[in-house]
Amino acid sequence: MEDLTRVRFTNLDKPMYPELRLIKKDVIEYYIRVAPRVLPFLRGRALVRTRYPDGVEAEGFYEKDAPPGTPGWVRTHVKYSKSADRDTSYVVCDDLDTLLWLANLASLELHMPLSMVTDTSKPDFVLFDLDPEPPAGLGEAVQAAVLLREALDDRGVKPYVKTSGRKGVHVLIHVEPVHTFRQTREYVHGIARELAVMHGFIVSERSQTNVPGTVLVDHPQNSERSTMVAPYSLRAVREATVSTPVAWGDLPSVRPFDHNIFNVPDLAEDPWRDIWDEPQDIT
Amino acid sequence: MSVLKGKPSTRSVWTGRISIGLVNVPVKAYTMIKDQSFSFKYVRRDDACPLKYERVCTLDREVVPWSEVGQAVEVRKDEYVVFSKEELDALRPESNKKISLRKFVPLSQVDRVFFDKSYVLAPDKSGDSYGLLLKAFKEKGLAGVGTFTLRTKEYPVLVYHYRDSLVLTTLRYSDEVVDPRSYEDLGKVEEPSREELDIALKIMENLTGEFDSTEFKDTFKERVEELVEQKMKGEVIAVEEPETEEVRELMSALRDTLAQLQKT
Repeated sequence: MEDLTRVRFTNLDKPMYPELRLIKKDVIEYYIRVAPRVLPFLRGRALVRTRYPDGVEAEGFYEKDAPPGTPGWVRTHVKYSKSADRDTSYVVCDDLDTLLWLANLASLELHMPLSMVTDTSKPDFVLFDLDPEPPAGLGEAVQAAVLLREALDDRGVKPYVKTSGRKGVHVLIHVEPVHTFRQTREYVHGIARELAVMHGFIVSERSQTNVPGTVLVDHPQNSERSTMVAPYSLRAVREATVSTPVAWGDLPSVRPFDHNIFNVPDLAEDPWRDIWDEPQDIT
Repeated sequence: MSVLKGKPSTRSVWTGRISIGLVNVPVKAYTMIKDQSFSFKYVRRDDACPLKYERVCTLDREVVPWSEVGQAVEVRKDEYVVFSKEELDALRPESNKKISLRKFVPLSQVDRVFFDKSYVLAPDKSGDSYGLLLKAFKEKGLAGVGTFTLRTKEYPVLVYHYRDSLVLTTLRYSDEVVDPRSYEDLGKVEEPSREELDIALKIMENLTGEFDSTEFKDTFKERVEELVEQKMKGEVIAVEEPETEEVRELMSALRDTLAQLQKT
């Protein structure tokens, strides 16, 4: 065991998704299997975790700081936190061992900031968080994503799409970290307003989220303090869904719960394979 | 015959007499059961300074000397009825140094769940009367039922012949043993199908054998002793955790992933 990982696995038989009879061992195994795909997104970022030590049917909690007992080999990033008025030490998941250590702590959900610790004020991802308001659901969010893609296509920008694992859809653009969050936020806001004008079911302002059946393009998510559920992160829902990158061609046929802990590790194609090779120009 | 490997004691734990009617036989009792469980000493980890327990007042944290310690029963929360040593001694059974056997029963008739601890009864002073008693027990094949007071507690006991000696086994009181049927879980046991039962019976038949207690060993104790040896020689102990099925599966997945990560 020591040869393969520095992590000491504990309580492997603890129920995590009781309805599906999944235990902590299954969660760790999941993260082992998707590690090659998820690590590139976690590397160099201050991670936020949602931990469920007693499984998804019990209370979970957000964790930003490195918890007591963090092993010395885990990379941490110390930063002054305005809200807490103290230096906070964040966990940076650069390698497999750190990922497995987090999984062993029942960190079911991994949330990543849109910027790296090298300069947290300069995002390398632009996020269009498409959030449907009931009765709108995944179907409407997908429709909005397709329309958004056309709009970005017109601008010569190549976006990537993933499910949120709940009912939303995330459309991402990878950029060089040269813009401020204010700029990326305004970029998203601008396109959102344009779409909202053309398509009645799309709204661009948080004040409109109470309108039933709409899909909000939530531009304020582009901020230094916000995080996005990482691609391939599990979700803490009964069905053990996964926030899953999908090919644009497959997007219209995606149904809720299609991607989950059982089938995502076996996905043959990585639709985001080229995302790092092609930073997009959004100016 | 089962193999018994416990080391005999040098000192008896009780002396007195077995009495049957008017016959009195002086005997001494030796421990027959030797607990070999491993026990550690508590120390401060850094400098191995041994620790001791102290009786401390829960209110003022002062250490209370034995001379001031009393015994009490908590009748309600934080309300105690205190007894003096004399009061308790008066309640305790008198150690009359006698095992009175009032009845004789076939040993097999005594439910084995009552059996607690066994002692070897050896002749004290003259062995003549002991020899007589032993012979009588051996020929009759019965166990004598009586009571026996060891230190401050009275036990029901059986006395019987075992390997050319008299053995005394203390018994549990009937309110100390739980009827398995009083556990609710047992009400939920389902009837198996005939096929399943046949398979189970077949397996049992194939595995039928003789009980041999030497098949079992307290490996924890042995391994601690090995480690003590190593530590005394100044060897560094590598902690090895047993791999469970779950860990094995994780390691196999890990091997695949590590190979994959190396490729990229």
